[in-house]
Amino acid sequence: MEATILVIDDSADIHRLVANRLKGLDVRILSALDGRSGITLAHQYRPDLVLLDVKMPGLDGFGVIRELKSDAATYNIPVIFLSGEEETQAKVLGFDLGAVDYVTKPFNPSELRARVRAAIKSKKLMDMLTSQAMLDGLTGLHNRRYFDDVLRRQVEQATEMAEPLGLALLDIDRFKMINDQFGHPMGDQILQAVSRVLERACRKQDLVCRFGGEEFAMVLALTTLEETGMIAERLRIAVNQAGAVSALLGHPVTISIGYTAMESNRPDEAECMVQRADDALYLAKTSGRNQCRASAECTGTTATAA
Amino acid sequence: MESVTHKATSGPSTRIVSEFADDPDMRDLVAFFAAELPQRASVLAEMAAKNDWAAIRELAHQLKGAAGGYGFPTITEQARQVERMATIAEDVERLRGQIDLLADMCRRVVGPDDSN
Repeated sequence: MEATILVIDDSADIHRLVANRLKGLDVRILSALDGRSGITLAHQYRPDLVLLDVKMPGLDGFGVIRELKSDAATYNIPVIFLSGEEETQAKVLGFDLGAVDYVTKPFNPSELRARVRAAIKSKKLMDMLTSQAMLDGLTGLHNRRYFDDVLRRQVEQATEMAEPLGLALLDIDRFKMINDQFGHPMGDQILQAVSRVLERACRKQDLVCRFGGEEFAMVLALTTLEETGMIAERLRIAVNQAGAVSALLGHPVTISIGYTAMESNRPDEAECMVQRADDALYLAKTSGRNQCRASAECTGTTATAA
Repeated sequence: MESVTHKATSGPSTRIVSEFADDPDMRDLVAFFAAELPQRASVLAEMAAKNDWAAIRELAHQLKGAAGGYGFPTITEQARQVERMATIAEDVERLRGQIDLLADMCRRVVGPDDSN
């Protein structure tokens, strides 16, 4: 259970004590001696837990938790308050502001460890649930929701940094016939087998998602239109030649791919890129399937891949 | 469960030893904390002489939170008393008395290596 804990307390004595008392837990400890630098560290390292002193000069613990909880980047980080024992009002306010727990100073070593362990366990479970909500249950690939998120962020980043960005939509040819002829369980197996092939054939930095039905989407960071076309062609061939897929049906499966890219010198939008890739995919389908087609223009004009 | 030993020689000086003096995990840490306490006692006295109750409150607050964790619950208890009185700062003479008591306790602490 490797975890990162951020301790924000104005007293160095407390930092030394906490570090000592948590020895043996699989944790990395970050220290901040005031609220402001604590928030900076929380942003930088996204810890799994914050141990937060209530009373500090400058920005106090309540100010810190307010900022952490009002920022999407740090909102999910659980906070345990380190409070003096008679500060009942403070404890109540702490919970109201979103703390998960509190530990009274001076703290009992085993109590501190137990509360820290419990908070980290909950955080890890929460992380797992969040990531599962972003996964497709059948294929284990990331799902449409995750794809939408990533594409939007990548488009923003590529625009800001003037970098290229590739996008491809992939669709299994004649999938309805497979379902009709062999049944839906076989269709599911094909989807799973094709997913594995796509994962293996793409580059490490490419993101393959299940877009819906028998359609997949791929986001290719720092990739031009030409390079996206090369990767797309590699995937098309890989699926076509995959023994694990053809063994299921007794014959190979083919896919059609429509792709596009955002060129570094031209701002673009996620919806527009998806539309272009979809146009190109339509062209690939109507031109006889089992091929890659590109679309570079947002106007809907499509061009044949080199 | 603070071990307190009386010196055979002179007056009111009772040594204060950490509850964790024998805890090998804590030994170095306690020694470090204990070594700094006389310095804190001096600062307490200095701030009291200047009637700087805000600084006294701050120092007492930190001692309150930390001392018990290092095995000195009586110092935490005394620091709590000082913090409370310094917040109101009404009965200044009594407050001075309590600060003296706290500073005195800080000076009477001995590290794990000197405890026997």
